[in-house]
Amino acid sequence: MSQKFEDLSALVDGEHSEQPSSSSRVLNAVKNDAELQQKWKSYHLIRDGLRQELPANINFDIADKVAQALESEPEILAPKRTWRDLPLVAQVIPFTKQGGQMAIAASVAVAMIIGVQQLNQPDVNQPFNAAPPIPGIQGGLSPVSFDQTRAVPNSDGVEQRRRINTFLIDHKQQLRFKTTQLIDDETSLLQQTIEKEEAQSDLVENTPQ
Amino acid sequence: MLKTLLNKIFGRVIWALPFIIALPMQSFAQAEQTGNEATSITFPSNSAQAWLAKMSHAVKSLNYSISFVLLKPGVDAQPYLWRHGVNEEGLEMEQLNLLNGPGREVVRIGNKVSYFEPNVPPYSLQSSIINGPFPSELFLRPEKLLLGYEFIMVGRSRISGRAAQQIRIISKDKSRFGLNVWLDQETGLLLKMNLIGQESQLLEQIQVTGLQVTKEPDPFFAKIEPGMLPDVVNFSPSSAIDSPWTINYLPKGMTIVKRDLRRLSGSGEVVEYIMLSDGLVDISVYMQESNNNKPQSNLVGTVQTDTLLTIQHGELNITIIGKLPAATANAIAKSIQRVN
Repeated sequence: MSQKFEDLSALVDGEHSEQPSSSSRVLNAVKNDAELQQKWKSYHLIRDGLRQELPANINFDIADKVAQALESEPEILAPKRTWRDLPLVAQVIPFTKQGGQMAIAASVAVAMIIGVQQLNQPDVNQPFNAAPPIPGIQGGLSPVSFDQTRAVPNSDGVEQRRRINTFLIDHKQQLRFKTTQLIDDETSLLQQTIEKEEAQSDLVENTPQ
Repeated sequence: MLKTLLNKIFGRVIWALPFIIALPMQSFAQAEQTGNEATSITFPSNSAQAWLAKMSHAVKSLNYSISFVLLKPGVDAQPYLWRHGVNEEGLEMEQLNLLNGPGREVVRIGNKVSYFEPNVPPYSLQSSIINGPFPSELFLRPEKLLLGYEFIMVGRSRISGRAAQQIRIISKDKSRFGLNVWLDQETGLLLKMNLIGQESQLLEQIQVTGLQVTKEPDPFFAKIEPGMLPDVVNFSPSSAIDSPWTINYLPKGMTIVKRDLRRLSGSGEVVEYIMLSDGLVDISVYMQESNNNKPQSNLVGTVQTDTLLTIQHGELNITIIGKLPAATANAIAKSIQRVN
């Protein structure tokens, strides 16, 4: 009785590989034994738990739930045989269904191309032909008149995209110029933040979860 | 039922006891030889902490040459060469070279890191780590991560043709991505690293393809003339700013490492900038008083492995960028308040 659990447990742990014949014997036993199948589930669950590999949401018994849902489904009466049931036509119909999906996919692609084209267009409604600011430029070469030209109503999406780009570039720069000293001032910095946090926690009580 | 499982666990613990007892003796013997490192090894020697301490010591003290590939979703694989050596005077030398395209070469001699990159004049920083594709602080000060992360021993496997020890690094409050690290059993050096999302999906990977540990430092280091390296760029220390805003929620172990007012080089806009770090990931927070002329919609998305979140929160436009789950970024952003 306990020997078969022991065998199964060893198999789950990957420690049962001495003879391939014995592991296939255990697998056959699992196939024919509902109790062992239950064990199989729980051993794997225990192993995942011990290794902290459990996913955020655990869906137990998806197969069982699907089977239950199918059973509780109202019964559909078999329709009369129509021309659709002829083998040749039955094969054609899936193609038309696929065609529909292709059309959807194609329209998405077109939408994306239009979106990209709009993005790449220079700002037409600028009053004068200022050189467009290049977001990727290094070293703060921003045009002086930038803020004035912004006053002209502009497409918000483009504007925001450009701002996000600036943030991304700045983030990369910050990481690049980050310096770390192994010995000095690290502890003092930590100390500062802790003090600051303590000061903050006095002020406000509500912290998000 | 459960008894058999327990029996087995106890059985193995008893079986392993002699080893657990024997190993610390060995490590003490080693520690006496190395001398000054002995103080940092205070964990049982077969724990994840001990393994990371071993890695940290190996990264700093061995002469090695490692080839690895950085993989990110939607981007080409990036092959790197990483060499490290310690010369007779005990000076550490390190080189990191991106092998594809115009390349990117970083050389560290002691506490001076020089960057040679396309389109940027070469410069040096006063720092003890290279800002590369891997979290250097994890290598040098793994104990610093203990504030926010838990280290778990997982098991052994074979990586890059070598026996490897797998260790999992998980944030204690489940607010950040996790890390799977495989270390070489023999030397303790890194063989593989996976950045894991909250649904256990792979976000970023470093795979070592070649590892050589040598007695002498690589001849490459002898060719470097320290006098020829670019000068150190000194950033004026950011004066403590009197900000009306405060962040009320920080993930466990995360601290503010930098805070200043800065003008963005792309658009010239002035923003308040905060860098958060827990030793593994660095996160940028940008705050800007919202302007009615520039309405912006709330956005969240990922750019390669970085999460980008930009929201309008009260009078502020807040943008957060970094390798962290969007929910955490949102919690940080929503916790920003005006100090009364």
